This record gives sequence, C-alpha cells and structure tokens, in this order.
Amino acid sequence: MRHHPGDDILLAYASGVSDEATGLVIATHLAFCAQCRDAVSLMEKIGGGLLDALPPAPLAETAFAATMARLDSAPPFARPARTASRDGTPEPLRSYLGGDLSSVRWRRMGPRLAYLPLLRRGGTSAKLLRGSPGTEVGAHTHRGLELTLVLKGGFTDVTGNYGPGDLQVADGSLRHSPIADPGEDCINLAVTTASLKFENFIQKIAGPIFGF
Amino acid sequence: MTGEAAELNALLARVATLRDRAAFAALFAHFAPRIKSYLMRQGAAPALAEDLAQEAMLNLWRKAHLFDSSKASAGTWLFTIARNLRIDVLRKEKRPELDAADFAPEAEPDPGDGMMLAAGEIRLREALKILPPDQMRIVELSFFADKPHSQIAAELDIPLGTVKSRLRLAMARLRAALGDRP
Ligand SMILES: [Zn+2]
Repeated sequence: MRHHPGDDILLAYASGVSDEATGLVIATHLAFCAQCRDAVSLMEKIGGGLLDALPPAPLAETAFAATMARLDSAPPFARPARTASRDGTPEPLRSYLGGDLSSVRWRRMGPRLAYLPLLRRGGTSAKLLRGSPGTEVGAHTHRGLELTLVLKGGFTDVTGNYGPGDLQVADGSLRHSPIADPGEDCINLAVTTASLKFENFIQKIAGPIFGF
Repeated sequence: MTGEAAELNALLARVATLRDRAAFAALFAHFAPRIKSYLMRQGAAPALAEDLAQEAMLNLWRKAHLFDSSKASAGTWLFTIARNLRIDVLRKEKRPELDAADFAPEAEPDPGDGMMLAAGEIRLREALKILPPDQMRIVELSFFADKPHSQIAAELDIPLGTVKSRLRLAMARLRAALGDRP
C-alpha cells in the first residue's frame, strides 16, 4: 500500500470531526492499513491525555446518585453477533453494504460502469463504483474533496497507480482522468463533499442524474 | 503514566471484573466533570453536557469488560466513549467503526489488573505538557473545536499550510514520545 490519508484527515476521524461518509472511507482504509491504525490509536491517546488535563466542570450534586441508581438496570453491553464475511469484506463497509462486496446488487451506468449509492448527507455522499478493465471515468476537476479508496483491482491517473487499500485524496487543485487497470474489475469506495465537474458533454448531463 | 492514571486503570479493571461500585464511584468523581467539560467545549449546553457525562459513565459501567488496559489508559478509553456519544447525540450521526476481529482475530480484551500500562503513554502525556504553545493550540482546537482545519486556520488568521505544518510537527514529537514509528 502506498497511498494513505494525511495526518489532518486521520485526526479529523480520531477526534470525531469527520462527517459519516468520510468516516466510512477512512475507517475502511484503516481495516487495510496497520500504519494508519497506529496513527489513529496515537491520536486517541492524545485525546485521552487532553481529556484528563481538562479543568473539571462540576456536576449537580444529584447527578452522582442519579447515575448510581441506574446501574442495576444497565446490563453489560453485548456485542452484536458477528457473521463471518465470505469474501473478506471488512467493517465498517460491510454494515453499510448490508453484506459482502461480492453480493452487491449493482446499478448499471452504461456498458462498463456500475455504481451503488451508500450514504448522502447534505452535499457529501458515499458510493461504490465498479469499472471493467480500461474504463475511463472521464476527465474531471473537483468542487470539494474527493476521497477514493480502492477495494479491488486498481486504477491509474496522473498522480500514480492505486491498488487495494490505497486511498486517493483529490481536491480543487487536481484535474484527473482515472483509468481502471487491466486484469480484474476495479471497485472503489468514493466520497465527495461536492459534485464533480466533468469536462465531457455527455457526462456533464449524466453526472447529476447518477449523483456525481 | 502518572501514578494517578495507573490507579484509574486499576479502578476500571475492578469495575470490569468485580462490578465494584466503589471503584465506579471513584471513576465517576474523576471523569464525569472532565467529560462534561469536554462536551461544553464542543458547544453542548451545560445541562445537556451533564446528561451526556452521566450517559458516558453508564456506558463505562456497561462496557467495562471490553476495556483492554494493554492497549490504552482509562482516560483514552473514556475519550473514545465521550467522542462517540457526542457524534451520536449532538450530531445525530453514526460513527463508522472498525471491527478488530477483521484484522486481529486472536485479540480478546483483557482488563488484567489494570497495572499493565504502556510506558509509551506515560511519555506521550509528558510530551504533551511541553509541546510548544503554537503547536499545542492547533492540537487542542483539532480535538475540541469540532471544526475542519480550514476553518481553524481562518479563525486564527493563519494559512492552512501553517496549521498543517504545526500539526505535523506536533504529531512527529508525540509519535516519537510514544515510541512507535510509522
Ligand atoms: Zn494508511
């Protein structure tokens, strides 16, 4: 794996600033990447140190007794039963797909591309994209941030080559035209904080219909 | 870790293994006012922050058996509980979480006796105390302001690049203190 989110993006996830869609793509990268898991764990330890050093804000005198009175009716938390993935699809992606990557019901978008919307909050959305080898998404620039995590296969653009687990962070300064690598289908988890700006006339029209 | 932090870990281990109410009371006295303080910094009104601090402590009671003292201190664990509660209640969103079983199937949480503290976390907290003020400010705002770095830069009236470079310097120091290298 060669492409990781920067410390600023990891810190936004660790501190709880990230929106849900961004959190989904970052946490799914973490499932692939021990190095970034270590970074997030360091950041949570910083959060713990900061919390411990905060000046206490005293609670009402009744608060402690009220909490103690609730302990008996607060049973130990039980983890939800876990069913093993058959194709290695990690959490949290699996929960958002409602199952494995290999059993996704794709929506077609032309002969070579398919997609599946996962989540939309305001202008931010997360979707799965699948392109057969050699597929071009079309040259585009970005109004906001685009985070693309490769789940299977790979793609190449002016910034390099991306394989499973690699995360690309593209902002307004990047114009690119990703092409799916030869071999197997390329499946990406993509999050955009604003719609993309396509240069091709057809995609300009089709983009909004498919939610890009 | 300071003696106090080791003691807090031991108290949490007692809650996990013995359902010890006196230990819970001591943890409440230490953490509830700090969690309230944390939530107020995130913009919660005092009454709501107080309700959520109690909710966080109830979470501690219910989830104590999942605490693993070999991984992090009680303070760090409580930080993640308070953070998730904030996302859940204040922002009404879910926090997408990893499942450790996906990459470390053998790891079972082990509260132990709570005294098995990573020496790295002691050094990390010492390093946090002596961070240069301009770096510390960015780190604090990153954790408490609930704002993206672009907005923090705008409010401090400094370039985004400066925010990111201060953050990078702070992270490098703290990472070195913890003793793990990428
Ligand atoms: Zn990574």
